[in-house]
Amino acid sequence: MFRYYLMLGLRSLRRNPALTALMVVTLAIGVAASVSTLTILHVMSGDPVPAKSKRLVVPLLDVGPKANYSPDRRDPYMIQSTYPDAINYLRSGPGVRRTALYGVATSIEPARREDPLIDLSGIATTTDYFPMFDVPLRFGSAWSAADDERGSRVAVLSKRKAEAIFGSKDPVGQRIRIWDTDFTIVGVVGDWNPVPRYTNLINGSGGYFEGEEQLLIPLKAATDLAVEPNGNVSCSHESAAGWAAFLASECTWIQAWWELASAADRPAAQAWLDAYVAQQQRGGRLERRAPNELFDVMQWMDFLKVVKPDSKLAVWLSIGFLVLCIVNTMGLLLAKFSTRAAEVGVRRALGAGRAAIFRQFLVETTVVGLAGGLLGLALSFASLALIRQQSRDLSAVAHMDWEMLATTFALAVVASIVAGLLPTWRACQVTPALQLKSQ
Amino acid sequence: MLHMKDLTKVYRTHMIETHALRGFDIDVKEGEFVTVTGPSGSGKTTFLNIAGLLEEFDGGDYLLDGVSVKGLSDNERSRLRNEKLGFIFQGFNLIPDLDLFDNVDVPLRYRGFNAAERRRRIEQALAEVGLASRMRHYPAELSGGQQQRVAIARALAGTPRLLLADEPTGNLDSQMARSVMELLEQINVAGTTIIMVTHDPELAMRAQRNVHIIDGRASDLRRGPSLVQPHAITA
Repeated sequence: MFRYYLMLGLRSLRRNPALTALMVVTLAIGVAASVSTLTILHVMSGDPVPAKSKRLVVPLLDVGPKANYSPDRRDPYMIQSTYPDAINYLRSGPGVRRTALYGVATSIEPARREDPLIDLSGIATTTDYFPMFDVPLRFGSAWSAADDERGSRVAVLSKRKAEAIFGSKDPVGQRIRIWDTDFTIVGVVGDWNPVPRYTNLINGSGGYFEGEEQLLIPLKAATDLAVEPNGNVSCSHESAAGWAAFLASECTWIQAWWELASAADRPAAQAWLDAYVAQQQRGGRLERRAPNELFDVMQWMDFLKVVKPDSKLAVWLSIGFLVLCIVNTMGLLLAKFSTRAAEVGVRRALGAGRAAIFRQFLVETTVVGLAGGLLGLALSFASLALIRQQSRDLSAVAHMDWEMLATTFALAVVASIVAGLLPTWRACQVTPALQLKSQ
Repeated sequence: MLHMKDLTKVYRTHMIETHALRGFDIDVKEGEFVTVTGPSGSGKTTFLNIAGLLEEFDGGDYLLDGVSVKGLSDNERSRLRNEKLGFIFQGFNLIPDLDLFDNVDVPLRYRGFNAAERRRRIEQALAEVGLASRMRHYPAELSGGQQQRVAIARALAGTPRLLLADEPTGNLDSQMARSVMELLEQINVAGTTIIMVTHDPELAMRAQRNVHIIDGRASDLRRGPSLVQPHAITA
């Protein structure tokens, strides 16, 4: 019977193409508006590293002064670590891997004076960064733990930057001169661009969603060369002048990450952090005695408000618009089905039960939904293309994926079924005797 | 075939109660051709709708082909309607979007016949009413008489035990009406029980039996010889 209902549905829709088109367009616009905003929210709030997101944690201590401390308010210096804490974490923190990173920026000094400088931005980090975040290497490899210890002048470049400097050939072994020092290229990152850029949300050049680490160098190499942080630095206490004093200060400017063996190890990691803080407090630090916190990847993005409230509001507004479109389609279907009361009467007289009429009309509304879904999909692609023109940040997230593609269809079909339920139910309630006599 | 005993039907609004049928008794035997007459508002159509399981009744008993229809679910009533009853209406009630083939196909779809069986029945039914050559035409392309013939073919295709006709010639001129009446008589001769509501005394007189309804009560006016042998007609 499904094929029969489908045939009847298609005929019915062809009978009144203008009304059909109106219903399809109404649904399509509602679906496209919702899907476009949902797509952006989906990418913005999506888990960038689902296999590990519960095991990768950021430790956070409150190093601020006791004065003016309010437990309800977080100050800016709370979102990163001090250098001493980061180094202590690296040496003896919990988890199977630990890393620390801070933003750096420089320019490659050209071999010939007349050549232009090539700007580079990236991070100083440790070798564990690569396996922790599953960073693929196109050429070469990451530097070694020994390089971390020695502060070797080695570097890894992003694929795009390596190609811009060296072309498509393997640049491993080549040298670049940065901060008046020769650095040897040991690796080139392959295609890797997590969105959002969860590893470096605070200092990432390009915002939460766009950009990449063009240059990665050992943390010790950067600190040995007194490479100043390119990004957020928050100091809560006065400190002496000079790089060594800066490193020893309570300024927060380094992002720390721990990789736990499993999410179940989190209480142990929390216990380690609490014990560490207690030890530091005995030494006179961390006078606020604020809670010591761990954030997994999704919690971290939520804490930093990667998804802005207005993005969520836009989704709610678009869902409201979809509801409006569904109500409109419902009205159109009611009008359409009311003209079919006579047909329903005849079918009922000839042996169709209410359930059969319900199925017939439901298939018809589903056909409208599928057509609305197809058009909605086309409109969604168009609106996402339009959104990409609006801002660089949005251009990184306004992309349809298979999940959202399926969601579009499901949304259209569900919307059409919801829109069709009342008209279909009313069609089933037709009193056949009344309709047959009135013909 | 159809037995109603002490049937009552009351239409209620918040202001008025209308007794459409009261103490209504009728017994139609298999093979009979019964015409139903009566003034407007007497309850003819209500009787036909209840007979056709299109309306519920308030009291009394109704047996259709030996099955009590009281308390049947919508599905059971629909199945009974589909298997045992055929309908012919004054306004033909063909579905305008469907060609003749598909119109006749409607009750067969709900019956669950396979495609080959449906085709055989449709072609046979349309041939019986003389419209086999026009099965891909649409209702709007036919005259009123032809449309009523299609409606008869649709009613016959499912080989119903009882054909219910509500003023089937009411919208036709006298020549077409006569032609449709002759067709119904042929169908009755072939063994199908027919109950036909009509305002036309001439047509009413052609049936073996005429039941007159006044104020929701039925009375037999005339009993004639059966057109169908060997079924006996009894009141």
